[in-house]
Amino acid sequence: MTASVVVTGAAVLLPGADSLPALLTGPAAGGEPPAPAGLVGKKGLRYKDRATQLGYCLAVAALRDAGLVEGEKPTGTTVPAESVGVVASSNYGNLDTVARALDTIREETVTGTSPMDLPNASSNVIASSIAIRYQLRGPNLMVCNGATSGLDAVRWAATMIRAGRVSRVLVLGVEPDNEVVRRLLDGRRAVDGGAAVVLEAAEAAAERGVAPRAVLGRQTRAGDTAAVLERLSGDEARWLGPEAGPGGDAPAALPVEAGAALPEHSGRASGALGVLQLATAVGWFDEGAVGRVVALAGTAGDDASAGLELIAPGAP
Amino acid sequence: MLSRPITGMGAVASVGRGVAELFDGLCARRTGHAELRGFDRSRFRARHAYEVDDRGPEGVDVPARATGLLLDAVAQAAADAGLGDDLSGIPILVGTGLRELRSAELWWRDGAELDDAGLHFGTALRERFGADDTHTFSNACSASLYALALASDLLEQDDTDTVIVAGVDVLTESMYGLLERVHPAPPDRVRPFDAHRTGVLMGEGAAAVVLHRDAEAAGERAVRARLRGVAVNCDAYHVTAPDPDGIATAIRSAHRLAGVKPADVDLVMLHGTGTLLNDEAEATAMAEVLGEDGDRPLMTAVKSMTGHTSGGSGLLNLVMGVRAMEEGRVPPTLGLEQPVEEAAGFRFVTGEPAQAPVRVAQLNAFGFGGINAVAIVEAAR
Repeated sequence: MTASVVVTGAAVLLPGADSLPALLTGPAAGGEPPAPAGLVGKKGLRYKDRATQLGYCLAVAALRDAGLVEGEKPTGTTVPAESVGVVASSNYGNLDTVARALDTIREETVTGTSPMDLPNASSNVIASSIAIRYQLRGPNLMVCNGATSGLDAVRWAATMIRAGRVSRVLVLGVEPDNEVVRRLLDGRRAVDGGAAVVLEAAEAAAERGVAPRAVLGRQTRAGDTAAVLERLSGDEARWLGPEAGPGGDAPAALPVEAGAALPEHSGRASGALGVLQLATAVGWFDEGAVGRVVALAGTAGDDASAGLELIAPGAP
Repeated sequence: MLSRPITGMGAVASVGRGVAELFDGLCARRTGHAELRGFDRSRFRARHAYEVDDRGPEGVDVPARATGLLLDAVAQAAADAGLGDDLSGIPILVGTGLRELRSAELWWRDGAELDDAGLHFGTALRERFGADDTHTFSNACSASLYALALASDLLEQDDTDTVIVAGVDVLTESMYGLLERVHPAPPDRVRPFDAHRTGVLMGEGAAAVVLHRDAEAAGERAVRARLRGVAVNCDAYHVTAPDPDGIATAIRSAHRLAGVKPADVDLVMLHGTGTLLNDEAEATAMAEVLGEDGDRPLMTAVKSMTGHTSGGSGLLNLVMGVRAMEEGRVPPTLGLEQPVEEAAGFRFVTGEPAQAPVRVAQLNAFGFGGINAVAIVEAAR
């Protein structure tokens, strides 16, 4: 068995929820959209797309929760910069920039576009901008993998840690809500926020004297949910189910009773879902839950299903 | 020390389709440079790109072309390795700069259909190959070598012993436009490392390889080359400008992971985009790491003929580098007449292809946000 990977920090930011306890209660309907300038200051937000601004808020909150940054407005970490990687998950992240730049090209020709949009035209702008702002020089990865994207991001962060490539990784899932996204979702809204966690080699966390908040268990991706359930079978678990499809169609019934990470009114979580599920599990363990939590993403309408098993810290 | 057999390869770009045809084309100095095919040219100052000519009528674009190129490259690689058409259970890791954002553009402005599963490649890979462990990484221009690093890490620990790694990109109007917007004068062609280059133009293409954990996992398959190491990092410096220090760190890490010294490297397939700042940054980093061996390895930049194939370019470099090992010849860099000062001491291949034995090749790929990836491969023999 390769090195154990643990969660050492978590953060949530959604309309109506800005903490793990608030996520567990369920964000209230009609919550105000998060205001990044109020959370991380105005400096550096200009020219950044909504997803990146939300990402900054989530990143610093999770890094702070993990004890990796100090002070009001950190610009670096308490550990070597190259020991911290970033894996971000988002499907809709830069659609707004792409649509706006295209509109300008079609309507005014290329000379009407702003050079400041160039970085935002690349989908990895969320992950790389966070690395620049908080000086994280480890591997930097953007996962845009559909319904399972958030759980996949967790898997790749854990894979790099287990392979010894990096000691800790900030994993975040974020989806902005805007006109372009709503058109893609037939008028439904997206979450306009997300969650972030810090994954760390158990040994690296112990070296820093930081207690694990959850332990990563098995993880898999397969053609259908039944295969995922089969591979993650074991002791009794608390289950977190996939979300409804983009058109609002409910996922097929599971053979287990699964809760939802978010209420329907929060909108589509998409690439943020897996990380929100992980944050939910951490919230439960913080409250003293024991045993295991299994999170599922992707339904019959998606290209595959993914599952992640989380184990309460201190469990045998 | 890491040594992962590569037993299948596939590639397609503007210069040709199939690994052998594409490589021969590059050695014959064939370029994919042509007038823009799929966009309304009146909207842009630049007029050229390196597109794969697979559309219908000129000036009319169609959705899902990136998906088409990807499926082609993956099918070639799988056939080369004798994996068959059913790839269920085999992880497929796809590195891309722009995923299916061109389809999103055609949806936003031109009435094409799109749902949110159409932005990444998993659905098409499932339909075509039954693949169910598929991953789309949108990691700018180092995406496919980042995917290679993740594949290698996955083989380290998983019960999986075979992984397919791919890279793909096609032009998007937004990226093509914004890229030319930042140039003082519209770029006319890609001339990597030349002092008088005008900048970067995009190209299209895809590449794929079949990678195994070790010799045992490769079984009876013919081994085409061995992956010895891939390093990835992030400059954490600037959203578009590169940092020579971050690049140098990535190159050193790759050498360390692969257990090679600068003097062991026979060939460097440079990132070499022809972008105004990037070539100098790459040359500075290369010169610093290679030190007194800076004039030893052959160096070439195939983007001079394929254009900048974005997220697919790193793996395209790898596949062409492996072919160079197999053939003992190295395609030249077109349009390189007077190298920039930082690259003055390098042994560039220009003019005719070089004939030379290549045992160890280094592949470079660097992307927006300062995300760097460097791989080392070794000849099979």
